[in-house]
Amino acid sequence: MKLNFLVAPDFAPEHFGGWHMLNTLLQSRTGLHIHLLTPASAQEQTDLLARTAVDVIYANPFDAASLMSAQGFHALAAPVGKPDEMVIAAAADSAIQRLEDLRPGARIALTDNRDVKLIGLRLMEAADLTETDVQWLAVDTYQAAARLAMKGEVDASFFMAETYHSLSKTTRSQLRPIIQSAISTITHVLLIHERALSQRDALRSTLTALARQPEDQEVLDALGIPGGFAPMTQDEADFMVDLMDTLLD
Amino acid sequence: MLPPPLAHRQFTLRHHDGDTRTVYCTEQEVFFPDGHLIVSRTDLAGRITHANDAFVHMSGYCAEELIGAPHHILRHPDMPAAAFADLWTTLQAKKKWHGYVKNLRKDGAYYWVYATAVPNIRNGIVSGYTSVRRKPSRSKINEMSALYAQMLRLQEARQ
Repeated sequence: MKLNFLVAPDFAPEHFGGWHMLNTLLQSRTGLHIHLLTPASAQEQTDLLARTAVDVIYANPFDAASLMSAQGFHALAAPVGKPDEMVIAAAADSAIQRLEDLRPGARIALTDNRDVKLIGLRLMEAADLTETDVQWLAVDTYQAAARLAMKGEVDASFFMAETYHSLSKTTRSQLRPIIQSAISTITHVLLIHERALSQRDALRSTLTALARQPEDQEVLDALGIPGGFAPMTQDEADFMVDLMDTLLD
Repeated sequence: MLPPPLAHRQFTLRHHDGDTRTVYCTEQEVFFPDGHLIVSRTDLAGRITHANDAFVHMSGYCAEELIGAPHHILRHPDMPAAAFADLWTTLQAKKKWHGYVKNLRKDGAYYWVYATAVPNIRNGIVSGYTSVRRKPSRSKINEMSALYAQMLRLQEARQ
């Protein structure tokens, strides 16, 4: 049986190879032919979902809600100890030292990552800032977001916490995080489409066994998910969808 | 709840489930932790079934005390009854509710939150409720403190 496995473009570039390693391992252990799809942007992901029969997806929590409620996907597994957090950072020498220093009209750079923006917007409420108070500057890469903040061309930039902490030491020394989320219950999730449900048990047991086998640690480290995967029940997935719903407005 | 060692006010609260309890309130505010969310779930009767670490920390209760307790264990007497009536009416209509809430800690101190509550709808049936609390801005807290004080005065005048 052939499966299409789409990975959302929300990981630091050094983990790209890890997804290919995981795919190779999954194929050898399940006997399935799995075709890996790695869109470079959220738009490319949307286009792929529209024109390709995606069977398994590693989705951000924002997309997971609609994938489960409207597109026939079911919970499969979730990474362990890898919550989706975000960082808002300004230039190290900026007058913006804390969230409350951002004022209406603030310029903020961000990449095309909807859950990062959503969580950032919720954090900014504490400073009385709404989406329309901010001048948004869309950039293609988080390195570009870092550069703009470092040069003072924007007041702050939004980052996935994982990508912020993967910036070089030199870059981070020129930036200052003004807030980092600590939500801990929102994570990316692995979902499986209803047409492939017959393969759910095989995929789930293979994925969740990875953390128990020392020889697989290299793959998990390459993925940036050293704790491996845990099975995700539909109730757990529904809980996260409810949680995301509370953050939409 | 025991009387706190600090100067405090004492109230008797009557809840919608008929429960009556004496609470003590100090003027000490505990500030919402930056970057966090307080998350809890309740069953249909409003009894807590899940509380995350931030909830445990901010409420001042331990997890064992919270699980199974009615969510109104956090009810602060400075909150007007109308706010909670609106919450339950909205949830029972299977809709999302937002509001600013002053919560009472076990030690009598208080903390402000911006709360969102949603019904957990499973196969068309409401199985419980999820509530997520975010950090409110100081300007909103000031605005809502004044509004709730006014609502309480009207509530007391009617009683």
